[in-house]
Amino acid sequence: MAQPLVKKDDDRDDEAEYSPFLGIEKGAVLQEARVFNDPQLDARRCSQVITKLLYLLNQGDTFTKIEATEVFFAVTKLFQSRDLGLRRMVYLIIKELSPSSDEVIIVTSSLMKDMNSKTDMYRANAIRVLCRITDGTLLTQIERYLKQAIVDKNPVVASAALVSGIHLLQTNPEIVKRWSNEVQEAVQSRAPLVQFHALALLHQIRQNDRLAVSKLVTSLMRGTVRSPLAQCLLIRYTSQVIWESGNNTQSGDRPFYDFLESCLRHKSEMVIFEAARAITELNGVTSRELTPAITVLQLFLSSSKPVLRFAAVRTLNKVAMKHPMAITNCNIDMESLISDQNRSIATLAITTLLKTGNESSVDRLMKQITNFMSDIADEFKIVVVEAIRSLCLKFPLKYRSLMNFLSNILREEGGFDYKKAIVDSIVILIRDIPDAKESGLLHLCEFIEDCEFTYLSTQILHFLGVEGPKTSDPSKYIRYIYNRVHLENATVRASAVSTLAKFGAAVDELKPRIFVLLRRCVFDSDDEVRDRATLYQNTLGGDGSVVETDKDVKDFLFGSFDVPLVNLETSLKNYEPSEEPFDINAVPRESSAPVELTEAETEYAVNVVKHIFDKHVVFQYNCTNTIPEQLLEDVIVIVDASEAEEFSEVFSKPLRSLPYDSPRQTFVAFEKPEGLATVGKFSNILKFIVKEVDPSTGEAEEDSVEDEYQLEDLDVVAADYILKVGVSNFRNAWESLGDDFERVDEYGLGPRESLAEAVNAVINLLGMQPCEGTEVVPPNSRSHTCLLSGVYIGNIKVLVRLSFGLDGPKDVAMKLAVRSEDESVSDAIHEIVGSG
Amino acid sequence: MILAVLFANVEGNILIERFHGVPAEERLHWRSFLVKLGADNLKGAKNEELLVACHKSVYIVYTVLGDVSIYVVGKDEYDELALSEVIFVITSAVKDVCGKAPTERLFLDKYGRICLCLDEIVWKGYLENTEKDRIKRLIRLKPPTEF
Repeated sequence: MAQPLVKKDDDRDDEAEYSPFLGIEKGAVLQEARVFNDPQLDARRCSQVITKLLYLLNQGDTFTKIEATEVFFAVTKLFQSRDLGLRRMVYLIIKELSPSSDEVIIVTSSLMKDMNSKTDMYRANAIRVLCRITDGTLLTQIERYLKQAIVDKNPVVASAALVSGIHLLQTNPEIVKRWSNEVQEAVQSRAPLVQFHALALLHQIRQNDRLAVSKLVTSLMRGTVRSPLAQCLLIRYTSQVIWESGNNTQSGDRPFYDFLESCLRHKSEMVIFEAARAITELNGVTSRELTPAITVLQLFLSSSKPVLRFAAVRTLNKVAMKHPMAITNCNIDMESLISDQNRSIATLAITTLLKTGNESSVDRLMKQITNFMSDIADEFKIVVVEAIRSLCLKFPLKYRSLMNFLSNILREEGGFDYKKAIVDSIVILIRDIPDAKESGLLHLCEFIEDCEFTYLSTQILHFLGVEGPKTSDPSKYIRYIYNRVHLENATVRASAVSTLAKFGAAVDELKPRIFVLLRRCVFDSDDEVRDRATLYQNTLGGDGSVVETDKDVKDFLFGSFDVPLVNLETSLKNYEPSEEPFDINAVPRESSAPVELTEAETEYAVNVVKHIFDKHVVFQYNCTNTIPEQLLEDVIVIVDASEAEEFSEVFSKPLRSLPYDSPRQTFVAFEKPEGLATVGKFSNILKFIVKEVDPSTGEAEEDSVEDEYQLEDLDVVAADYILKVGVSNFRNAWESLGDDFERVDEYGLGPRESLAEAVNAVINLLGMQPCEGTEVVPPNSRSHTCLLSGVYIGNIKVLVRLSFGLDGPKDVAMKLAVRSEDESVSDAIHEIVGSG
Repeated sequence: MILAVLFANVEGNILIERFHGVPAEERLHWRSFLVKLGADNLKGAKNEELLVACHKSVYIVYTVLGDVSIYVVGKDEYDELALSEVIFVITSAVKDVCGKAPTERLFLDKYGRICLCLDEIVWKGYLENTEKDRIKRLIRLKPPTEF
């Protein structure tokens, strides 16, 4: 029996507390473990030593390989003892030591013996230990016993086998799946826990078989479920069945809803919550279905137990995202939770209220939140800031009080992520609410006067450079910006110089004053700052010469790069300094995500990245050799472009050698008509020379054989030529682009799984950037508008407005409106959709 | 998955820590996060009063029992309610072994048995046993009474 280390009466509690493990040392305990080898085992002493070993392990101490092996071997000797308490400790310490596969063999026979023992508890424990330390080969030997154990009369033995099954399913699914008859039987067990474990395992075994899961759920609903834990599982599996059976609300009642609803009256709180959550998460839930769930959740808001309040408010918070109106009845209860001692609860309550509140309650709510902000951690504050941002966008008329709130908290203490969340919010409000612009910019200016985060300062300076010149009095920002040149580090100073130049370029009256300031920056101690100051002076014509036209200057200062920065960075890194200058036109204007050309787990893994240039397309094949016994040489992809007529191969770069498990690249380049979005299909064969490798020495043999390997086909599609570039304010961008080259047409998309699926398909087809979150389709919608933006090959801006509507039960109709700077591009977008 | 069960003393020193499926390099972070959470919130809490928190998609239910604070961390199906069940089993078992809400000394005196109880309650991240009487018998290798 496990004995306490020091015998001690309760009345000695008042004595000085000292740890029985005081001064414990790993080395000394390992020495003590030698008692395991004594011919006459002292069970009590051995238990004490095991306890010390457990203490060390539980403290996070680790044993070296040699130490662990020694202890493990010594522990196996303890199987000789018949002392029950010691045996229980031995089972535990073996699991904790987790012996390596070559050591397990020592203990296997003892454990197999215990597994067939007449003593039930030996069986249960031996199963747990064996399953913890076993590998596949041993498992086939003991499988027979495990199957018996699953239907053992003793619930502890059955549970041990079932829980082991849950773990083994991860590593040896084929074996565990063979047990389903026994597990099915265990689901009917009268022992509550056995039923719980059996249900979990059976569901995992059958989770990919929809019909089987549906049958399982139906039969259990009719039968008896004996524990709340199992009932929760049943509810979870039921909602999965409902979800998979699709949305039948229009055709009548939802299957199994009555079951979920009846669970709301269960005596266990856990079950009630599970049912309420399942109902609130039903796809396209109606308000009639929601009401009973919301009512029980509301009751829990005033529970005396924090866990229940937390669970209730957390669930309601989720509901508020989709159905804010459904929970307005709970607002009063939720307001009282703002002062909850538990900050997690209070934060959830506040963010829920911010989602459900109406315009008239905003001011009152803000007052309450102000008091609350000072005593919560940054992570909670960020959640609140994000909620306030959405509230402000919802009620733009309230921007004044919300902007004030944000600027106040911006002045208070806080870490980077928190400050970034506030700055991001102010920037978004400035962009979306024109009235908020001037006050917002001034708040940001004040913030950078005392900002410790370089990243935020540079972001704000960049933003000021874009927005500041468009305000009624741009000159008032100059002081804040120029102060940065005196007071900050080089990175911020360089940003400030760029921002000054933007003001100079955009506002003629300010230009002479900006020159004075830029001239001072030429004496900066940092070369980047000096270089920028000199560059901008020249660009703006500060030295008296008119170097460039006004348009060129503005394009230079305000224009965006027409190549993605990642591609520029990669190209710069690959550039080797030479006489030949770096050519920015050699940077791919777009690179696709890797497309797999082989299935998972094949001998050779190949994926391809498409690099798009104005006149060329380059395929970068990333190849991996997954066979340790092979070395590949002269690897090349032979590309057949007969279905891509307008492409002609101009260059290919083979791969000298491809050793095992070290990915390398080979390239093939094609020429194509300049500036056109040419499409085509390419078939690929991987060609190479194989040499056998001796695994023991790693050396390749001299003999070699030529071989080839068929890869999947590859398509270049129109979407490859469109850059995903977002716009911050779609309506402004749409209107400023004008309707000169607008093209509108309607399309029938045929029957679709859902509106959301149709929207997604069109977005992927066009490869454009969804704007303003319009890629998300609210559940149950019958119509939806999605806004997309991008830049077409030739650097032509293009915007798309998609209006979807359900025509009949499943048929989706779509109206496509395109605006761009070039009519052929507008037509091209329609062609993509028409042919896709 | 029950990601962690952790016991600490009043000063925030770890008495027992068991992680399941948490990479070794993240454990230190969890340990200090939990201890800080307890230091901030457990002062003045009653024995076995359950406190709750969430950190990203992970739930934490914690409590104090005598001189010992107990933390259980879970994710997915082990949400705050399931974890309350787990921590309830753990506190009942510990009280049973110690005979009352333990002092630190008493807890350490019964260390081996408490480890055995935990072994019966949580099996590599899954809840296995839930009744203290059964657990009491199981750690002595006695079959459950109802059998």
